[in-house]
Amino acid sequence: MTARTVLKNEWRLLMADRPLKIALGLFVVLLGYALTNGVVWLRFQEHTVEATTNGNVERASALQQELEAIEAGGQPSSPFADPRSPRVLGGPSGSHTAVLAPGPLTALAIGQSDLLPYYYDVNIYTNESSFHQNGEVENPLNLMVGRFDLAFAVVYLLPLLILALSFNVLSEEREQGTLALTLSQPVAARSVATLKLAFRALVVAGIVLGVSLLGALATGGFGSPGRILLWSVTVVAYSLFWFALAAWVNALGRSSAWNATVLVGAWLVLVVVLPAAINAAAGLLHPLPSRVEMVTAQREASNDAVNRRSELLARYLEDHPEMAEGVVADEPGLGALSWAATDAVNGRLEEVAAEHDARRAEQTALVRRYRVLSPALLAQEALLDAAGTGDARFADFQSQVRAFAERWREFFVPAILADEQMNASVLPNVPRFGLADEESSDVVRRAAVPLAVLGGLVLLVSAGAGVGLGRVRGAD
Amino acid sequence: MTESQESNSGATPLLEARGLTKDYGDTRALDSLDLAIAPGEVYCLLGPNGAGKTTTINLFLGFVAPSAGQALVSGLDVSTHDRESKRRLAYIPEQVMLYRNLSGIENLEYFAALGGQGSLGRKRLIEILGEAGLDAEAAGRRVSTYSKGMRQKVGIAIAIAKEADALLLDEPTSGLDPTASSEFSALVERLRNRGVAVLMATHDLFRAKDTGTRVGIMHYGRLVTELSTAEIGHADLERIYLEHVSDNGGRR
Repeated sequence: MTARTVLKNEWRLLMADRPLKIALGLFVVLLGYALTNGVVWLRFQEHTVEATTNGNVERASALQQELEAIEAGGQPSSPFADPRSPRVLGGPSGSHTAVLAPGPLTALAIGQSDLLPYYYDVNIYTNESSFHQNGEVENPLNLMVGRFDLAFAVVYLLPLLILALSFNVLSEEREQGTLALTLSQPVAARSVATLKLAFRALVVAGIVLGVSLLGALATGGFGSPGRILLWSVTVVAYSLFWFALAAWVNALGRSSAWNATVLVGAWLVLVVVLPAAINAAAGLLHPLPSRVEMVTAQREASNDAVNRRSELLARYLEDHPEMAEGVVADEPGLGALSWAATDAVNGRLEEVAAEHDARRAEQTALVRRYRVLSPALLAQEALLDAAGTGDARFADFQSQVRAFAERWREFFVPAILADEQMNASVLPNVPRFGLADEESSDVVRRAAVPLAVLGGLVLLVSAGAGVGLGRVRGAD
Repeated sequence: MTESQESNSGATPLLEARGLTKDYGDTRALDSLDLAIAPGEVYCLLGPNGAGKTTTINLFLGFVAPSAGQALVSGLDVSTHDRESKRRLAYIPEQVMLYRNLSGIENLEYFAALGGQGSLGRKRLIEILGEAGLDAEAAGRRVSTYSKGMRQKVGIAIAIAKEADALLLDEPTSGLDPTASSEFSALVERLRNRGVAVLMATHDLFRAKDTGTRVGIMHYGRLVTELSTAEIGHADLERIYLEHVSDNGGRR
């Protein structure tokens, strides 16, 4: 037997099967719709990034012009927004927006990018509450069920298509009687079933990877070949898991109806129930503090700080001697007192945020521990990482923004405490955010774990299928 | 004994059972069957349902493993030479089930290629189907439009294309009308004349007498008697059959 014989016959059977062709066509349409969704979101993000970048330039330019005008004898546009004041120049009106560019394959997987902030206005008042707010107004339905993108289609719908194509790969042959005639030829059931599934896998992988590559080509994703390779490997591994599972179930020698019931049940458990149960358990065992708690803490700390500004300033100078150069603690200016209050509020918020972050870390650890139970979770993690829209990239971005906010404060706070005025000559020295984006090697290293586990599951199920198919005879 | 039988009586059997036994749990489906079918012989296995006819065929096909004994095809033990023995065998079940959405030609092409014949080409495929009694127009149609007799003809065509040494037939004329049964018998006769050894399980005593060179009557898994069809008439066969398969003459 040559592989060509079986593959050619499978092609003929596919071409002669109208319902199957319609199902495949429908799937292609769904993938096209998913890709369109991704591209629309990507364009929106690109537009936002462009607007924020332009905003940075325009604000800096406006401040420079005003400072130069003042130095030339002019007056500030408002006595409450004098750019010479470090509280103004380093505050909201002089803020710098730190932006995370869309992930290289965002069009394929929107992932967390519609939920987690991808830009922050950084100024001296940036604190933990800033990192717990998303500036975008989002359709709540989208946030609830996630956007219909290619990753969603791959994780949730692709298994259903695979099961529809393979649930009866042997059972139908047995039921319609062709299996006996086939196995009376010098061929093994394992070889025939493997080739039949291989043909279906080629069709499915061809469609999914074709649409994916088309999306990457249309949106410039080809600049990241490593990520495309990771995406493709994940799609193939995840597909193989479902094909192997279908092969195993077929090898049990039961009816097509029984196979369909068991496989749809497996899909329900592995793709829907287990991920939901793991997420629910994470929320139940490690509940996040309410955001109201953070707002309340901010309000209480603000009231308290305003009443105890002098005391707080003395403590601040004690804690931050590097910021205290030139400050006369006995005669502090209004700016210094105000900053001391701000810092006290920030400190209280950090305590609340630390608790929030700790709980979230516990949630993440729990999900990571039990994700091995669900190939869907493993595939989703690898796909989002490949696209650059997973948790890790956003966490890295947030971490860099925190560091940038710290540099921003280090630049402006000494001047606030010393009650100094600033001029246009300092503008070139004002910190600017530059993202050190993750390297492909970082992504591959991170995705190696879920991929290795997924690969292990594929091998395990394939081994079971191989043993089962080896026992198939013509007269089961 | 026919001329063909006489000429082949000393030849190596193409199908041979040696103490072939099959148990399903506590039930013995086949009990120490000894059988040898030479080239050009048509051996008909007769017996009521559950007598062990299909089990015998399944053992020769390697579809089930023997509990004891050996099934040999051209001298090769089926248990240890699965593929080699299947290369030498052709099989036509009671219901030849084909891919309904494909044509007769496409089905023949596929099964012939699986059987090791490679790509035969459309012209040759149509020739073989014609030899099996299926005209070119019918051969190009989808199998879903075929009668049972037409599907049996495709089954015969698959056997012809394979150029097998031995042919296993499991109640091949069951459900066929007399004309189709007669055509089928003629095709088997042609294969026999080419030296193919045929083992046919059947309930059709008339067809067994008419087509077979020998008949074996089975009951409760045992071969209870063996006869040469040249030495008996139709009426004799029916009488002998009934004698052996009645319950008081059955299980031993």
